[in-house]
Amino acid sequence: MSDAPLWRQAFDKAERAVAPRAESLVRTPGFSLGAALVRRAQTLARGSARDVTARAWHLLNLPAGSDVTRLRGQIGALDREIRRLGLQLEAERRAARSPDRPPIPPSTEDSHADGAQSADRARPRPPRRRAQRPAGT
Amino acid sequence: MLDRVRRDVERNALRARNGIKLVAGVDRPGVGQTPKDVVWQRGRTQLWHYRNENVRYGPPLLIVFSLISRSYILDLTPGNSFVEQLLEAGFDVYLLDWGEPDERDAANGLEDYVDDYIPAGIDRVLELSGADEVTLFGYCFGGDLTLLYAAHHLDAPLRSLTVLATPVDFRHMGPLADVFAVGGMEVDSVLGDDGNVPPSVVVQGFRTLKPTAEVSRYVTLWDKLWHDEYVASYQAMTGWSDDHVPFPGEAARQTVRMLVRENGMLNDRLTVGGDRVSLRDIRVPFLTVRAERDHIVPPEATAPLIDLVGSPDKHELSLAAGHMGLVVGRTAARTTVPTILDFLRRRSDELVTDAAKEA
Repeated sequence: MSDAPLWRQAFDKAERAVAPRAESLVRTPGFSLGAALVRRAQTLARGSARDVTARAWHLLNLPAGSDVTRLRGQIGALDREIRRLGLQLEAERRAARSPDRPPIPPSTEDSHADGAQSADRARPRPPRRRAQRPAGT
Repeated sequence: MLDRVRRDVERNALRARNGIKLVAGVDRPGVGQTPKDVVWQRGRTQLWHYRNENVRYGPPLLIVFSLISRSYILDLTPGNSFVEQLLEAGFDVYLLDWGEPDERDAANGLEDYVDDYIPAGIDRVLELSGADEVTLFGYCFGGDLTLLYAAHHLDAPLRSLTVLATPVDFRHMGPLADVFAVGGMEVDSVLGDDGNVPPSVVVQGFRTLKPTAEVSRYVTLWDKLWHDEYVASYQAMTGWSDDHVPFPGEAARQTVRMLVRENGMLNDRLTVGGDRVSLRDIRVPFLTVRAERDHIVPPEATAPLIDLVGSPDKHELSLAAGHMGLVVGRTAARTTVPTILDFLRRRSDELVTDAAKEA
């Protein structure tokens, strides 16, 4: 016989009956579709309300919350670009310090500038199709 | 009968005391206590180096954590810490912690982590340790990041790769993935003002996986509220499971598109920074650890991984534990950690310490 108090035994029995059904329910396509629809409706309602309030603030020539959000996004993107540049610079510095790196051929300032890339462009590709260190070596 | 009444009275008094403590938030167990130093930082990301006077194995071990939760689960409380056990076993442990993303991280894609942060973290570990390789270790979604890294950087200085509770078949991730794959929900509809997926959405997503768990949790808490040890462990564990961080918006979009809708890991349709990558190209010694009772990353979601990776030296460990039980608690201390340590030791070099030299 279980040591658990009666209320606990009753709860466990109810939980055992309900939990599998609830877990199956949340795994049905209907639940996923329903959740997506509810979220879409919420987004739509929030977006409409935001548009109305933004128009009101703009009438007074004042920035709305959505303007601030956009600015935050732009500052965030700029911050990320700087971070990525910093990381690339750090990697270049480390590679330059590495003893097995081939010497950089002398070049003019212009030729360096030709190779300059914006931080948002694709990174230099890592070496491809080179076998990794085999096991046990 | 009298004994039972006495026991109930005592327990109710203890319940009242512990209940007040819980509500007031006092006497919380300290988490993430193992001494460490921040040895590199970029944006919100930090590389931590855990102090260890007794390093007996090399190369150093770098842990890459998940993007949506806090890393202190790996160093929960003194005596119940995965990191502590790694240090005691003689490893030199580093951890890449992503911090708490804000609007500056909203544009971070998976390639930021896979091609920028992880390589930079590894470079820093190599620089500090003087080693020429690292042992890489990924937890949960951090495991996916390490898989993408190893697949995209085929000349990566890796001695071995170990992943824990790492999903690859996202069809089995339950409602968390189904709302996007089946329901057609867009990531943009759940983004907060900072452009990231708010922690509340992540927590809600996890709660949906076991809808009755929240009620059971409080019932069990009431039942065992008199037990000091249980309350301390409840505070630490539930504190962590409710304590998530925002998921960077662009990384969330890529995850849903590539990993959830296209099921890219399983279907070999992965791209990182514009390059096609394949898990088959991973050739380093590999260990995947799965939890059979994991309701967050179900065993079906982790099972195919062993066959997807191309390593000739690959192993799978399947344990009767839950998601957190892999790294904290008795099962972890008894089974998971010793097995992982054994795998790592066999693929590490024993270092000659100064004391051994003198002897």
